[in-house]
Amino acid sequence: MDANLRDQFDRAVGHDPGADPSAMAHTAILEGGRVRTRRRRLAAAGVAAAGLVLAAGVGTALNLRSEAPPPPLTIPAAMMPLAAPGCSEGAVQSGATDVSMFLTYEATEQQRSAIRSALDGDARVESSYFESRQTAYERFKKLWQDSPEFVASVGPESLPESFRVRLTEPAPSTAFERQYAAMPGIQDVVGRTCPPDAPVGGVK
Amino acid sequence: MTDTVVPPRSTGWTLTRRRGKAARDQEFTAFVESTATRLRRSAYLMCRDWHLAQDLTQQTFTKMYASWERLKSGTNLDAYSRRVLMNLVFDQQKRLKGSEIVLAELPDRPDAAANPELRLTLVEALAGLSVEDRAVLVLRHAEDHSVETVATILGVSSSVVKMRNTRALSRLRTLLGDDFLDR
Repeated sequence: MDANLRDQFDRAVGHDPGADPSAMAHTAILEGGRVRTRRRRLAAAGVAAAGLVLAAGVGTALNLRSEAPPPPLTIPAAMMPLAAPGCSEGAVQSGATDVSMFLTYEATEQQRSAIRSALDGDARVESSYFESRQTAYERFKKLWQDSPEFVASVGPESLPESFRVRLTEPAPSTAFERQYAAMPGIQDVVGRTCPPDAPVGGVK
Repeated sequence: MTDTVVPPRSTGWTLTRRRGKAARDQEFTAFVESTATRLRRSAYLMCRDWHLAQDLTQQTFTKMYASWERLKSGTNLDAYSRRVLMNLVFDQQKRLKGSEIVLAELPDRPDAAANPELRLTLVEALAGLSVEDRAVLVLRHAEDHSVETVATILGVSSSVVKMRNTRALSRLRTLLGDDFLDR
């Protein structure tokens, strides 16, 4: 826009003493790597302490930041909500009364509405609601309040959006879960057996 | 990320995810090598100290490496790195406030024309602005980011960026004399 102004800014940094970018990258990899390791241990320790049983396909806590698979496709275990009291801890193969559906980080508005209408029109569904990243984050902060460093390393954008569903009847199989897991925008579906007074979806 | 109207001077780095630590480190190193100089210079314009600028830039890269996987594919790394840097600068500024006078006192209106030795340098004049206004000028004019990109980086609306930009330029004009701008 203003060539003169830009020249003046260029001159202002004209006496740059210089720095070696490869050395900076090297330091960042060493120090940043240590931060990653700490974060990973904290997450793993927290998950172990909470006795969180992971649903198949979510990946194990220890592999949260493993080198091999590209991470954005899995929801880190520590970011998954825990089973509500009285509910089965992990996913059940039959008899699910409540289902949580976690969306991919890339889920679009269109995919969300498609899931919502599918749920609304599904006779097997008694009630359902949507949990936003922000709500998930508030809940996450409460859940991990004893690990402030871990909480600080996570932003709302790291938490998955989800649909929480209560079924009309306990599901005889995982057909319901499988059907929704196949919908675009859904990352993971976990069905749990819960008492009637548990929160819808069966998670905290 | 809003697209830039005036492209940033560095090549537009967009994160494409690849597998493995070696590939990641290589990708990260290439990003640092392409960005370090520009970022360190912007840090200098923000804090008037090359050592501190180096330190803030290093911290920016360290933070980014620690979260490299969490950056989504398609993240505008140029904008993201500026956001991390500016947040570090703002934090630094907050910590220093009250404990130490960091900035030299600036005369309100130097007699620039009559007395060239008294003329402030641009960096000194920048130090006379609020840190928020300074950030807008550095991102907008030293780095050539569009108003929209600056707004995204700083997490404010475009109209706030425009308002700060106008205010900061007029303040610079006051500090540096009329021959500074508009030509």
